Amino acid sequence: MKLSTVLRRMRKNRLFMIGFCLLLILILLCSSAKLWIHWNPEVGSLRERLIPPDYFTDGLQGHPFGTDALGRDVLSRLFVGGRISLRIAVIVTVISMALGALVGMVSAFYGGIIDMVLMRICDILAALPQMLMALTIIAFLGNSMGVLIFTLTVSGWVGTARLVRSAVLAMKNKEFISASRVLGASDWRIIWKELFPNTLTQLLIDASGHLGGTILVETNLSYLGLGIAPPTPTWGNMIADGRTYLSSCPWIVVFPGIALALTVLGFNFLGDGIRDVFDPKNTD
Amino acid sequence: MLRQLGKRLIASVIVLIAISIFSFALVRLDGADPARMLAGELASDQEVEDMRVRMGLDKPVVQQYLTYMNNVLHGDLGYSWAFSMPVSELFAIRIPQTLRISVLGILWACVFSIILGVIAGIHQGSGVDFFAMFFAVVGQSMSTVWLGFMLILIFAVKLGWLPVQGVQGARSLIMPCLCVGFGTAAHQTRLMRSGMVDVLREDYVTATRARGISRNKTYFKYALKNALLPIVTNIGGQIGRLVSGAVVVENIFNLPGMGQALITGINQRDYQLVQSFLLFTAALLVVCNMLADIVYTIIDPRITFN
Repeated sequence: MKLSTVLRRMRKNRLFMIGFCLLLILILLCSSAKLWIHWNPEVGSLRERLIPPDYFTDGLQGHPFGTDALGRDVLSRLFVGGRISLRIAVIVTVISMALGALVGMVSAFYGGIIDMVLMRICDILAALPQMLMALTIIAFLGNSMGVLIFTLTVSGWVGTARLVRSAVLAMKNKEFISASRVLGASDWRIIWKELFPNTLTQLLIDASGHLGGTILVETNLSYLGLGIAPPTPTWGNMIADGRTYLSSCPWIVVFPGIALALTVLGFNFLGDGIRDVFDPKNTD
Repeated sequence: MLRQLGKRLIASVIVLIAISIFSFALVRLDGADPARMLAGELASDQEVEDMRVRMGLDKPVVQQYLTYMNNVLHGDLGYSWAFSMPVSELFAIRIPQTLRISVLGILWACVFSIILGVIAGIHQGSGVDFFAMFFAVVGQSMSTVWLGFMLILIFAVKLGWLPVQGVQGARSLIMPCLCVGFGTAAHQTRLMRSGMVDVLREDYVTATRARGISRNKTYFKYALKNALLPIVTNIGGQIGRLVSGAVVVENIFNLPGMGQALITGINQRDYQLVQSFLLFTAALLVVCNMLADIVYTIIDPRITFN
């Protein structure tokens, strides 16, 4: 498909554009947060505990989204925390996609014993729900950023590997693969130049779902006390921290939850949009 | 089919053995000493050593594993030190609670999503369709934790209709069930709607209508059956989601189920409880996935097992 066609379809696709713009705004705000926030997101002032939101009546000098139990500005934590949540999601997704695509392609391409061994490994890793697996690994290995990324990746790539495997199985015996083999292409060349580009659309759709899913799992883990350790803010531990003050100071929980839902929504829209844009049945 | 089933069974046993080794090894990678934790900070070295012997932790790791597996095969899941009772007894007490919210959760999710999805699929572009799509998209974007907090905030704190947490009759189950089933309901509404839309485009639906069979009979007797297929395959996968959901939801609403026991077990370094929980969950998922496959071949004659 020509680049101009892709771009035109993207522009015309409402879902894609909503998701794209939503994420662009969020990512820009989060990544530039350190430049414009007025308060330190990790250090609060005990005299400013639990101040209700003033909704920008004082601009950034006030506390537009209020403060939390330790007197830290919720808005500052929201955008700095968002940066960390998004970074975790992106790293986990990129590694999972790369590993999943590689295993899936190799497994389907070579078949036989390699396929069997790799798929049994997948079965084992998928035998426990991702959250449960992550929960126990973090509980017994400690909760650093590295361990969190590792645990979410361990079981994260399995779904991708299965997806890519079935896609490759379906096209492995097509003429264009035989053609490049006849022309003397090596196995790796076929995998890299022929098979990989043809699974790219599915990988992109999978990735957008994966990004949203990772952010949601991180929230659950944080709530159970097994996410990123405080005082570093993430959307997950901000929501978890607000539990005690839910009835008197709901803003501590409400704002990070909305930011999180908007982000996941953006990723879901983007995935649906990509599906439509690259759909072969799409004839504009 | 029997042969394929046998093959699947062998593969499942291998998966379960791997999970048992994984969970056994994992809980032992931890730096904390469970004998020390259980004996207490003030215990003397001799008391800690005695505790270690009582817990069987003085034996070589391989021997510990073999003893554990031998016991599991004889129905003994070990002893939970955190709850001071055998793990199987603890599970027997805790499972009904978890089952109650999980079953009710998935039940409302299925009924709601099937009805909403079917109506949305039949009346494409209508208000109901818009609501269904909105619900599907938003429902899948919400974190369980946050949803739980918002339900508490609205229905318990602001309106005062429902108890905040704990077990106080049927009313205390409403919010946990809503929370557990929400993601599944959203996901299935979407599946059901697109399934219905696809099926209604098929030639046989047009043919049925052309033969003068009524609209309702066409929809509910012929189309619905085929549109339900994706939901059935999906149910197997939803069990895993349900287990993770139960762990979180039981902790939010303070319900004494399996999920809460797991978190207590993890915090108190209760090895046998945690490893038995993981093994139990894996076994549950393996069985559910196999059942889903079998049911699938029965209701869809085009698909053969494996």
